[in-house]
Amino acid sequence: MQPHAEMVHWMFATGLLVLGLCLLAEAIVGQEVWRARRWRAYLWPGLAFTMGVLMWPVMTFFTNSAIHMYAHGSWAEVLMLAGGAELGLVHGRLKSRWWRLTMPLAFAVTGTAFIVHEQNAWFFQRSAFLHHLLGWTFLLAAVIPLGLVFRPRSAALQASFALVFVVVATMLYCDRDLAPVFGHLSPLAGVPHR
Amino acid sequence: MRRLLLIGALTALALPAPAFAHATLQSTTPHFGHELVNSPPLIRLHFDQRVKILPGAIEVLNTHGRNFAGPARTSGTDVIASVKKLPTGAYTVRWRAISADSHVVSGVWTFGVRVPAPSVNDAYGAGGPTVAEHLVRWVWFLSLAFAIGVLGLRLICLRGVPVQRALDRRLAVAAGIGVVVSLQAGIAAFSLRAEDALQLPFGRFLYGDLTPMAVTRFGRAFIVMTLGFALVLALIYLAWLLDRTVFLVPAFVLSLLFVSGFSLSGHDAVDPGSSWKSELADWVHISAASLWVGGLGALVALVWYGAPDLRRVAFRRFSQLATVSIALVLAAGIYLSIVRLPHLHDLWTVDYGQVLLVKIGLVLAVLAWGGFHKFVVAPALERSNSAGFLTRIGRSLAGESLLGAAVLLAAAILTDSRPPAPPVKAPPVAAARR
Repeated sequence: MQPHAEMVHWMFATGLLVLGLCLLAEAIVGQEVWRARRWRAYLWPGLAFTMGVLMWPVMTFFTNSAIHMYAHGSWAEVLMLAGGAELGLVHGRLKSRWWRLTMPLAFAVTGTAFIVHEQNAWFFQRSAFLHHLLGWTFLLAAVIPLGLVFRPRSAALQASFALVFVVVATMLYCDRDLAPVFGHLSPLAGVPHR
Repeated sequence: MRRLLLIGALTALALPAPAFAHATLQSTTPHFGHELVNSPPLIRLHFDQRVKILPGAIEVLNTHGRNFAGPARTSGTDVIASVKKLPTGAYTVRWRAISADSHVVSGVWTFGVRVPAPSVNDAYGAGGPTVAEHLVRWVWFLSLAFAIGVLGLRLICLRGVPVQRALDRRLAVAAGIGVVVSLQAGIAAFSLRAEDALQLPFGRFLYGDLTPMAVTRFGRAFIVMTLGFALVLALIYLAWLLDRTVFLVPAFVLSLLFVSGFSLSGHDAVDPGSSWKSELADWVHISAASLWVGGLGALVALVWYGAPDLRRVAFRRFSQLATVSIALVLAAGIYLSIVRLPHLHDLWTVDYGQVLLVKIGLVLAVLAWGGFHKFVVAPALERSNSAGFLTRIGRSLAGESLLGAAVLLAAAILTDSRPPAPPVKAPPVAAARR
């Protein structure tokens, strides 16, 4: 018994939304206030790492094509890598700021995997459109965590970084298995449902 | 020029539509792996979107490659082909369809008429394991053995010994690398097995339906092992992050538990004559061999050259652990050899037996080397402080661990080989007369 693909999207959308809101709160109140309670520092990196672990079941249970399996596997790995590196930095286990490069790497890999694994055109149906949009959002937004490697205290970059996750979560919430997008639905896509 | 290349790459990413469009198979009639009482009148593929058909869109092949399917037609999002009356036997269905924008999607599954369906890995046309598959499985074995060996070394051999934090972290990182490599190797092994069953070039394989492979024993083992070792990786990471060795305990237990995936999907689970005893023996064999070979590699790489002050205690304790592991490996291995090879001459007359002979030869060589370390080197190590002697021991241990890796290569080839069928028992005389 597998959940529908769109429901899995929504579960991960919720995780990304919480992650984005934590980052946004940190950007608004500042790192010192946000980290006044030690556990808060671990919140979003821990969530990212956990989402990486939870992505493995998605990889293994959704095998309707090899490329889907590879895409989900790559997301699992980069989420664990980026979340784990950030946890290491927060905890003090890792010292070098270059470990923060794992986040733009994760964005680039995630975006590429979104674009490559979606075989349909932008307006084929809604989920195809959103997969393209998500892919390009991640690819273009990779410059934000890249900027944070060099300017970690920039409030604008921190807020932008947080908003990327909120936007991505919104896109994932809009995802549906089969539905029109801006009035377009390919006749090859079948009958809309849910 | 660079700008042109960049624009070209971005355009290719932005406009994938003409090349890609993909339909997903949602259900089939008959279902994957079913044993039917009667010949099915037709084959039906139900997709999530409309597809176009190609000549020979559906083939129903018997074990000799004869096609029983008629021309295919579409009905809504279904593709249907009539089937001639099928005699008793095993059948392979191969299908391909053109999805939106001319992309070809493909798949394969098997069913049986009055006989059990063969595994999809044994579908008509599948070529069997290749050299690449042997090598990938070897890397899978090696990486898992290393991860289990590192964890065993830390939790058993260095138990109660004051271990520097730096070494503890190195051990956790090494175990984590082993698990990460094993996850990649598992994905590669599953992909190669699926590619062989689908019989597709890589470009088309990317859009091949892997679902029938995921429900085979190997597929289920791959799923369980992937999920299990992802959890193990998380536990090892926590041990590294928080400097808590206690997290390595569940990681070690789960590793030993999930490595049983090899046993549950191997010969001892599927071949005639298999039983829970052979599966258990196989699990003991694999676990003990992993602990022995992986632990030896970890001892050399992480303790001998990384923590010289722990050399003696680690060597002495690992020697005891290796003795127990070897006893288990040998006991389980002898039992499995008897189960798998009904006749002694199978050892030199069938491929499986020949590979087993090579493996036994390698094991004997490692045993001799290990015996030399236990009975000659260990007592000398207690007496000597010579730097040159210690260096030579390190090299000797490295040599033994390399030979252990060669044993795992033989094991990987053996796993991909098929043991001879057991002799068919003659019917009782009375029943035969009747």
